[in-house]
Amino acid sequence: MFWTVTLSLFRGMGEALEIFCLTLLFSLPLGLVIAFGSMSRFKPLAKLVNLIIWVIRGTPLMLQLLIIFYGPGLWMENNIWAFSSGRMVACIVAFVINYACYFSVIYRGGIEGVSRGQREAGQVLGMTKSQIFFKVTLLQMVKRIVPPMSNEIITLVKDTSLARVIAITEIIKAGENFIKSDGIIWPLFYTAVYYLIMVGLLTILFNAIERKLSYFR
Amino acid sequence: MSILEVCNLEKHFGDVEVLKNISFSLEKGEALSIIGSSGSGKTTLLRCLNFLETPNGGRILINGNPIFDAADHASRSDEEIRKKRLHFGLVFQSFNLFPQYTALDNVTLAVKLQNKGRPVSEINAEGMALLERMGLADRAGHYPHQLSGGQQQRVAIARALALSPDILCFDEPTSALDPELTGEVLKVIRALAEQETTMIIVTHEMSFARDVSDKVIFMDEGVIVEQGTPEDVFVNPSSERTRQFLSRYGE
Repeated sequence: MFWTVTLSLFRGMGEALEIFCLTLLFSLPLGLVIAFGSMSRFKPLAKLVNLIIWVIRGTPLMLQLLIIFYGPGLWMENNIWAFSSGRMVACIVAFVINYACYFSVIYRGGIEGVSRGQREAGQVLGMTKSQIFFKVTLLQMVKRIVPPMSNEIITLVKDTSLARVIAITEIIKAGENFIKSDGIIWPLFYTAVYYLIMVGLLTILFNAIERKLSYFR
Repeated sequence: MSILEVCNLEKHFGDVEVLKNISFSLEKGEALSIIGSSGSGKTTLLRCLNFLETPNGGRILINGNPIFDAADHASRSDEEIRKKRLHFGLVFQSFNLFPQYTALDNVTLAVKLQNKGRPVSEINAEGMALLERMGLADRAGHYPHQLSGGQQQRVAIARALALSPDILCFDEPTSALDPELTGEVLKVIRALAEQETTMIIVTHEMSFARDVSDKVIFMDEGVIVEQGTPEDVFVNPSSERTRQFLSRYGE
């Protein structure tokens, strides 16, 4: 039984990791685009982007998942997710939008946190805009955003469990299934081990990055 | 011919006129001090010379060649400004060293970026020589946060010198330092003056300005109230406003 459960949860972890990796892949760059949008000197654009960020951060990810998955079929009478991996794609779309908004706010803090004097010092030394970005401000920004980003990314690991509301069998769902099928509850508690392992590995990774960047202040 | 000539420079932020009809000139090898109370426009003037602010009127000439003309909008592409601002070096009040680079890398970074073909060892040797002039040879491998304020500012001076600007500008270089560290930075600037480096120094250190400069400008509320030799300005000021300002410092 133990191996059956372990294997089943392992498959759930596969789904969770798919959501996790694809969400990061798309939301990390999209977040930067949104961050620049929210800081745009063209005020209407900045206002619109900030409105979107407010709505996305102000409503539960679970609700966003439900709306994105069921919405098209219900309101447009055209279920755009009606293909074999449609569920997963809908899930990724919801996660990417949600996380990109959170990341954008962190990026923005990182960009605005680098003092204007750093840019000006680069300018008076005759550096181009891209030289200033890549050689001067980028690393300082990265250093600033590592702690809040690690928080958010660890939250993402656990948020993958929300995918069950659109019937994706991630880890929790896989564990819960054993309550109905075999009348046992320990697989549900066992799921915690999977999350702890994933978060543990991420913690080691982020600590290493922070150590790597600790040579300057 | 004057190395620098500033003609009728104007700058306003919205309705606030920060610089009004600023004109002065500087000869090669001269040190010019700009004194005046906070908010008198001294720093804005330096920032205009370094293209960190765009003046609203007037002209700036280097060796007789106009490098800025408010009437001519064509000469303001990023690329041109980048080349023109290299006539000037700027040392900031808050140092603004790049924290992720060592002292030596701070000095050589811009040189390396501008001379891709030159051997790195040669550029590093020049950087080391500059740090040595600043008395910091033993600190070359230190990061800014490992240095005292005075040391950081001296690295910043070396960094500005590395691009051999025609005119080196200092924006209150010692205002962020405690009195003990002020001395070591002033000593370096004094040495530069003795080596006939053309300099513009915005400062609140009156006795230093008097000692070191060939020319002094006193600014108040965006205008040049008085300019001349240190004796003219400090000993025989012609305007009441200058006397008032200096007497407050004398107390």
